[in-house]
Formats: sequence, C-alpha cells, structure tokens
Amino acid sequence: MKGDRIPDQHHIARYCKATQAPGGEIQATAFMLRREEESLSVNWLEFLRCPNRESEVAELQRMFGQKLSRVGRNARMAILNVGVMRETVLQGSPDARNLAALHAPELNDPSHSGIYNLKQDDDLIAELIRQTIIDTQPAQKERLL
Amino acid sequence: MPELRLHTREGFEAMGEGLLYSDKSLTANFPKEESYSSAWSRESVSLQEFSLLLPQKVRYFLTPFVAIENSEASEVSSFQKEMGPFTQANLLDYEEDQIQEAIFRIRTSLSVLCRELANRLLSLFHDAKEEEVSINIDSLRNFYSFFQLNPKLKCPTISLTPENDIYASWKGEQNRLFSVYFLPCGGVRFVVFKPNDRHPEQQIRLSGTATSDILMETVASYGIWDWISE
Repeated sequence: MKGDRIPDQHHIARYCKATQAPGGEIQATAFMLRREEESLSVNWLEFLRCPNRESEVAELQRMFGQKLSRVGRNARMAILNVGVMRETVLQGSPDARNLAALHAPELNDPSHSGIYNLKQDDDLIAELIRQTIIDTQPAQKERLL
Repeated sequence: MPELRLHTREGFEAMGEGLLYSDKSLTANFPKEESYSSAWSRESVSLQEFSLLLPQKVRYFLTPFVAIENSEASEVSSFQKEMGPFTQANLLDYEEDQIQEAIFRIRTSLSVLCRELANRLLSLFHDAKEEEVSINIDSLRNFYSFFQLNPKLKCPTISLTPENDIYASWKGEQNRLFSVYFLPCGGVRFVVFKPNDRHPEQQIRLSGTATSDILMETVASYGIWDWISE
C-alpha cells in the first residue's frame, strides 16, 4: 500500500543510467535527486514475490523495458539492503540523516518505491549510499545473438 | 596543457586535418588512434579551404552564435544567407558540436592524461547521446579549466549528474574518496572521505563548496594531492 515503510531487512533496486555508471561502475550521481524530485525512485524487490534474486532482476528488466521509453545498453541496476543503507547514512552523514524507504506504487510499476528525506545537493549522502551497493545487474535483458 | 579556445579563428585553424573528418572522425575513430594516426596529424590548411571542405554542420565556427570574440561582419552575413532561420534543432546541433570540439581539444593536448580524459569524456558523450541528453558545456569547461590548473592529476572516473553536469571521482586505498561536482557557473561542490589516522575504525567525511581554481588549496590539508596526482 502507498506509504508503507519498506522493512530494513528487505532490498531495493535503483535504475542507473549509463552516464551514471561509466564502465559499469555505478557512481554517486545515480543517487542524486533531479531538481524537481521529492524522492529517489527505486523498486522494492521483495514486493515482487519472486522465488529468487535472479527472477526479481528479470522481472525488473522486463518492467524497465515496458515503463521507460529507452533502456540504455549500458544502463545498470544497483541493489541495496534498506537497513544497511539507512544505518550507513544515519551514522555517516553530518546531520545524522534518517532516510525513509516508502512504497509508492504506480499503475504500470506496482513495486515502485521512493527514498525520502534527501535534498538536491546531498553529494556526501549520495556517496554514502553508493558505498552500500551489494550487487549490480544490467538494466536491460541481455539479448542473444 | 593548452587553453581551451572554442571560439577563435586560431583555434579553428590549429585543428588541422583532423577536423576534416568532423564528428565522424570523433565518433567512429576516436579511441583507435593507432589505426588512424594520420587523421590526427596537423597540416597547414587555410580557413577558406577548410570552409569549402567542411560539411555544413561544422561550419558553426563562422556563425554569429559562436564566433562572438573574433567574428567578422562578412562571415556573419554569409552564414545568415546560407543557413536560414535559427531553430531549436540548430541550437541542439550547436551544443553537441561544442562538446565534441571541447573533447577534441582535450584529445589533441600533448599529455597522456588528456588522451585518457578525452576517451572517457567521449564515452560519456556517446552514452549521453543514447539517453538523448547532452553534457552541460559550461560544466565541461569548468572541469577542463580545473585540469589545466592541475595537470598532474590522475584520471578520475567521470559521470553525469541528473542535471547533466560533470562529476569526477577519485577513489583510493582504505576507502579514500575525493569527488567533485563541476557546476556550470565555475563553482564546485566536493566530498572527501579519508581514514582517521588516530582512530582507524573511524572515517573522516566532509563536504564543501569552492571554485575550481582554488579547490586543491581548499582541500590541501586533507592530503588529497598525495594520492590523486602522478
């Protein structure tokens, strides 16, 4: 349901454009807000109710393909644990920032969620979040030749 | 490292034969210098000869919109006759051309660092193009000015912020980090992570703002220069 808090033991995935992941290495820029954004868009993996991580990733790749007008060949997805991310930012940011990961479902994207309590110039927090990435995957399904 | 001169006639002439390939040369052949070394050699070709040989897209050097500093009235009027009304598409093309030329300038600088930097920027340029966005040229200029002032820096990882500005990041041992957001206005925002020598289990983290010309002085006390320079 909209506004539900994602439990700390759960995981989220963030779509990262190729320009934010040069050479496949995701940078802090992937965790910076656009000027008009209130929260950082992510997907709640456990909400997908897939049997394993592999199928969660496949489901998100399929969803990105449908939802986004273009999924770049070199775009990636970053996978993070909610609790680790929140605790790292709480302990490491100068203002002890308490981030919230909340469910924000959309019509064509039911697992859509957001990371709240970020500001537009939070470069240090973006670097802290980047340090908590536990896995990266291609955002686009690999095509067979 | 030479100064970045995008708009001058001297800069135009100095580009030599490489420009004859226009963006095709940059996009298709850029990183493979061994195979196309002759494409980068400089030969003396006059401005007039260039002007005749160039495809219309790269004749922006003679436009009133870019040749602000050294343009002549006759060049401006000839552009207006040939090109017709200025459209949004012209503007996008113009910005793209400026970025490519800036990268070309960095590429033709003498240092090895510049070549690596240019390769990384070119890769970013292609990725941005695929995402239908464009690197902010003023942020790119700010980034290049910083490297002109600090030519001995190691090549950073370069990415684009959500506003399409340049963000450079150096990462070192023991989770050392120095990241710089190059703002279009000449300012910078920076982040430093470094080990706390007295408390090894702790890390020192700080962020701040400055201008690119005094950035390295501003962060000098954090010992960054030692690990981000050659």
